[in-house]
Amino acid sequence: MKLFKLASVVALVAATALPTIAAAADKPVVGLVMKSLANDFFKNMLEGAEAHAKKRGDYELKAIGMQNETDFESQLNGVENFITQGVDAIVIAPADSRAMVAPLKKAIDAGITVVNFDVSLDEQAKKDAGLDLAFVGPDNRGGAKLAGESLAKALGEGGKVVIIEGNPGADNAAQRKLGFEDAIAAGKLNLLDSRTAHWETEEANSVFSTMLTAHPDIQGVMAANDSMAIGVIKALDAAGRPDIKVVGFDNVSAVQPLLKEGKLLATVDQFGSQMASDAIDKALAVVGGGPKLEGWVKTDIKLVTTDDVK
Amino acid sequence: MQLDENLPTATATAAPAVSMKLLLRDAGIGIALVLLILFFALTTDHFLSPNNISNILTQITINLILAIGMTFVILIGGIDLSVGSMLAFCAVVGGSVLTIPDLSVFQAVSLATLAAVGTGALCGFLNGWISAFWGLPSFIVTLGMLNIARGAALQVTDARTIYSFPPSFNAFGSQMIYGVPVVFLIALALVAIAWFVLSKTVFGRLLYGIGNNEEAVRLAGHSLMTYKIAAFTIAGVLVGIAAMVYMARLNIASPIIGIGFELNAIAAVIIGGTSLSGGRGSVIGTLLGACIIGVLANGLILFGLSDFMRQLITGVVIILAVIIDKYRERITAA
Repeated sequence: MKLFKLASVVALVAATALPTIAAAADKPVVGLVMKSLANDFFKNMLEGAEAHAKKRGDYELKAIGMQNETDFESQLNGVENFITQGVDAIVIAPADSRAMVAPLKKAIDAGITVVNFDVSLDEQAKKDAGLDLAFVGPDNRGGAKLAGESLAKALGEGGKVVIIEGNPGADNAAQRKLGFEDAIAAGKLNLLDSRTAHWETEEANSVFSTMLTAHPDIQGVMAANDSMAIGVIKALDAAGRPDIKVVGFDNVSAVQPLLKEGKLLATVDQFGSQMASDAIDKALAVVGGGPKLEGWVKTDIKLVTTDDVK
Repeated sequence: MQLDENLPTATATAAPAVSMKLLLRDAGIGIALVLLILFFALTTDHFLSPNNISNILTQITINLILAIGMTFVILIGGIDLSVGSMLAFCAVVGGSVLTIPDLSVFQAVSLATLAAVGTGALCGFLNGWISAFWGLPSFIVTLGMLNIARGAALQVTDARTIYSFPPSFNAFGSQMIYGVPVVFLIALALVAIAWFVLSKTVFGRLLYGIGNNEEAVRLAGHSLMTYKIAAFTIAGVLVGIAAMVYMARLNIASPIIGIGFELNAIAAVIIGGTSLSGGRGSVIGTLLGACIIGVLANGLILFGLSDFMRQLITGVVIILAVIIDKYRERITAA
């Protein structure tokens, strides 16, 4: 009997002690869903978020990403897994601005705080699903306009330009194209042609060198990301046309030497490494009982030129 | 050895007829290419300008090198879906070596070439060995390798882009001799070597034999495994060379390059008249096939067609090529 008693005392102690132990470990869990872990931009973002989690120390970070930016099916699976695990918040850069609306609605209905960052969900799709969700992210259109304007300033009115677009159908590609077009209209530039190179260096190199053949009078190029700007600059090197000016977007490390040499006129930094941690901060504030986020919470963007790398 | 008579050009009497047929096949694709060139020459302003021709040659180089290797694999009735990922893996391995500090340019470039080609050969060897040893369809094995090589490329670089290669290496990528890009001449030399190996050596004829009648080759006492491994390893070596050309041309190596390149390489081989079921085709056809894809991509931009129509028309041409091949097969078989 004595043994029994002892056992029950132990059990009682354990039963009262356990919840406090659990509570100590029960930091809010944030599920970070990114578009891709396979490029510098998202890599920086993840590292920024990990450093942020360590620094704050009051939440647990679970991050998932995908092989490439268009693989939204695995992103969908990731969101569903987070719902099953019962995370406190999901912070997501959607791979498809329409396809991700339904699973995120499910997460919200399950009582999870959802913050949408980097790429905005489609307004119409949100409305159709009855989803009211704020967006924390950069103004891609405004950023592209900044880059476009610096090109317009360098060329002057009537300057002949072409646009190298990102993936057709991707929201940020569409926004950047609109931003370039805003700058073209404002600077009274002359747009000769606009084509996609699917964010790809090699394709941008091929497509641009052909565009240059068709329009030898090109004076400036607006590329929707730096990878494509690199391909364009290599084509200019090969064609011996250092007179043509190029602007890009993203400010990746590979363009730093090109900025320094003056081969890239300007690029745009949207501070990817801070973007995820900003969104996490906002999600945690809501989880902690703060007010609901509304509308578009704009994050920083900055034009980077030769002067910034010297 | 009697069974060897089943193999193309294995006997003296069969040789002239076969090469006549092969000539007919290639001539058909050649005519299609000439018609395409004529069309763009007449409808656009700059198509035949020397600069544009140099551009097209540069633009087809990487696909051509990949497609040469793909020809070997398709001839034995296989397929290699991993070349795009392998290109990225070879490039980041080569690029890492290329950027080792304190090496002379010569040392860096030779070691990087060795590393890139070695990586490609190793991946290709694994593709061939695994599919031959366990008798697995190469479609599945190379689908696995597609993920392995991409994952390895990301792992090795931690998903970062490698850049700032030696300036002279970079300059080599856009070097011209009389308006012909040096990198294209390298690809052309590889076509010549592949043509010689495939049509003039016993090894090459046996690869055709395997595509035509695997059982006959096996009964003749040849090790199928050796030849299959060899075909995939050759494809891997060519991926390694293509990776060096990529880096010389674009001055970067990134783990996310080359997505979907395998499909363009396969398209070049098929448009070039090599049969997907193996045993029929030639690397000259592949050269013409790669030219057709390159001319279309370039010409349709000069023609002013939208990106979406351009993609659509490229698809139509691939299907047309296969249909034409069906007819040609009937004619040459008659």
